[in-house]
Amino acid sequence: MGAIVEPYITECISSNQETFRCWWSQGDFHNLSSPGALKIFYHKKAFGSHWKECPEYIYPNRECFFDRNHTSIWTLYCVELRSQNNITYFNECFNVENIVRPDPPISLNWTLLNVSPSGLSYDVMVNWESPPSADVKAGWMRIEYEIQYREKNSTEWEALEMQPHTKQTIFGLHIGKEYQVHIRCRMPAFIRFGEFSDSIFIQVTKISIKDSTFPLTLVLVFGVVGVLILIMLIVVSQQHRFMMILLPPVPAPKIKGIDPELLKKGKLDELNFILSGGGMGGLPTYAQDFYQDEPWVEFIEVDAEDADTGEKEDNQGSDTQRLLGLCHPASHHMNTGCSNAVSFPDDDSGRASCCDPDLPEQDTLIIQESTSATEEETQKKGKSSEDTEDKRQKELQFQMLMVDPEGSGYTTESIARQISTPPAPPMPGEGYQTIQPQPVETKPAAMAEDNQSPYILPDSSQSQFFAPVADYTVVQEVDSQHSLLLKPPARQSPPPCMPQHPLKALPAMPMGYITPDLLGNLAP
Amino acid sequence: MPGTIRSVSLVWVVLLVCLSSRRTSVGAAPICTNGQVGCHVLSLDNLFDRVIQHSARMHGISSDLHSEFEQYFLPSKNQIGRLGRICHTSTIITPNGKENAQRMAREQLTEVILKLLIAWRDPLWHFHQSMAHHHDFNNFSSNKALEMNDMVHELRQGVEKVAEKMQVLGIISNSVTSLASPEVLLPSDSADWRLMKDYDLLYCFRRDSNKVQNYLKILKCRIVPDHGC
Repeated sequence: MGAIVEPYITECISSNQETFRCWWSQGDFHNLSSPGALKIFYHKKAFGSHWKECPEYIYPNRECFFDRNHTSIWTLYCVELRSQNNITYFNECFNVENIVRPDPPISLNWTLLNVSPSGLSYDVMVNWESPPSADVKAGWMRIEYEIQYREKNSTEWEALEMQPHTKQTIFGLHIGKEYQVHIRCRMPAFIRFGEFSDSIFIQVTKISIKDSTFPLTLVLVFGVVGVLILIMLIVVSQQHRFMMILLPPVPAPKIKGIDPELLKKGKLDELNFILSGGGMGGLPTYAQDFYQDEPWVEFIEVDAEDADTGEKEDNQGSDTQRLLGLCHPASHHMNTGCSNAVSFPDDDSGRASCCDPDLPEQDTLIIQESTSATEEETQKKGKSSEDTEDKRQKELQFQMLMVDPEGSGYTTESIARQISTPPAPPMPGEGYQTIQPQPVETKPAAMAEDNQSPYILPDSSQSQFFAPVADYTVVQEVDSQHSLLLKPPARQSPPPCMPQHPLKALPAMPMGYITPDLLGNLAP
Repeated sequence: MPGTIRSVSLVWVVLLVCLSSRRTSVGAAPICTNGQVGCHVLSLDNLFDRVIQHSARMHGISSDLHSEFEQYFLPSKNQIGRLGRICHTSTIITPNGKENAQRMAREQLTEVILKLLIAWRDPLWHFHQSMAHHHDFNNFSSNKALEMNDMVHELRQGVEKVAEKMQVLGIISNSVTSLASPEVLLPSDSADWRLMKDYDLLYCFRRDSNKVQNYLKILKCRIVPDHGC
């Protein structure tokens, strides 16, 4: 169709609500482009008004400017575009306050507010000044502003909410990206915006972030957590060691070869059964090898010929042997063993004949208890050595032991040692010689024949004191005073070694092993 | 035990909120007249801010309504034919520019404001009534008309209070006659507004509300310039 565009008024705008301008265009009527061909007339809808021509033309801009004297607010203006022939091409009516478009704000700039802890985004405060043409100070114009921003390469603008203050915060900008920001304004409750201001560019790069505390706190937190985990691991892995230090383990009762379960309370019968050699779990019969492995068994070797081997050893040996009554008078074999100061493991003939595997423990325990009342009945016999003095001393010591009812001398050897050491003569040989050397020779014989305790023999008066004792003694019973009644064997001959268990002759007393609770009863 | 602590702390929080809100919320408590109890005394600039805000809102609503009217009823571009009538408030002499407004005396300016507000009391009420009866308008528009009506009322009261305060402070003399007898201010040919079409009425009211807003702002920035001008 190609409609011909007639001359028209482009727009009338006021920037300060005090003056306004109108621009026109000739459209397709190029013959009217010369200045003065088109004219603008206006009419104020007031009392008694008429059409007037534009007060001031600015022909290069095709603009008509209405100054203050010709501008009335809240007054209806009608403007017309006329040609010289008074042909009206265009007209428009308006109130000046409705055509106000404020100038853009000036002095737009920004400051960095903060950076996020992650270091990826930041906030910016943008500030500006109101357009100088708008008289905000007098209250004549109130203005609200709109900020728009976008990434440099983007096509769409983000608009922030309009507000009347001259600063605003932009949140959540990204590090490293460049942003373009501009601003425009308008009067509140009016629809026409002013032009946009010139853009400013905002960019914050990683280099500019120097004092970020985020990594430091993170490192600290992780470090502390790691140290804590490490400590915990150490504690857990070394737990047993800590437990050892804090709560040392209590040794449980244990006998080699016996199930620890049996050693607990209440299993006495089974234990007895086992200990007496019955069943599959029975202890092996007394064997030389059995004791070889046990370090706690002291192999007391008394060497009769060699008096210099050591006084203690001799003393011990004689003492122990005497105490334990191993010198069996019935057995020559053993007798020779005794006279030769045989140690326990070397000569088990007596043992073999006795068939008493539990003798050592038994004897040791038996020796513990003695009272003055039972002195006559309690007799010990040990293998004697040639040293009379020793025997004499030991005899005295033993008597002392015997006399002491409350003697808690558990380890006779130790006590003997204690007693013997202070008054012990330095040279055993000397001592022996001084005191009754005679019984030395006779002693073994006497022992072999008389079945009497070597302690008794040297002193006949003393010997009356004790009843003759066999090479082994059977504990018959425990009386009320916690003393063991030993049953002396028959005088004529030593009782034949019963292959069975002499232990069984005693009904009441548990043989071989005194359980802890029973031992508790026995202890003084 | 934790329950009692929680309830006690709740009570304290509520108390604190109430106390703080009492202090900060200026809009909640009524403005004091002479001898009134239970209100707090506002400063002049605070009073001014209130009325200016009120007038701005009133102007906004009138603009919205006017735009709606233009959309529905007057799509034609012929602007001259639109205005058949002159506004009934044209008889009130009002300054038409910044200098005129600034040169006008404070008492005069205050009086002009009050005259305008009084002049619109009846027309707006009738307008609202006619809108409520016309089924062409949706509820949104009729609500706005009602709101406009109320606002004119409140704004007039607010401006009267401002004038009183100014008189008390000695800023203006006691020559503001509108406070004594508002009926004097009504234009003689006040019946004209009944002949106005709704659109013209809206147009006139939009213009006049803008005048009121501007005059109030100019007054404020002349009298108490330091607070937000």
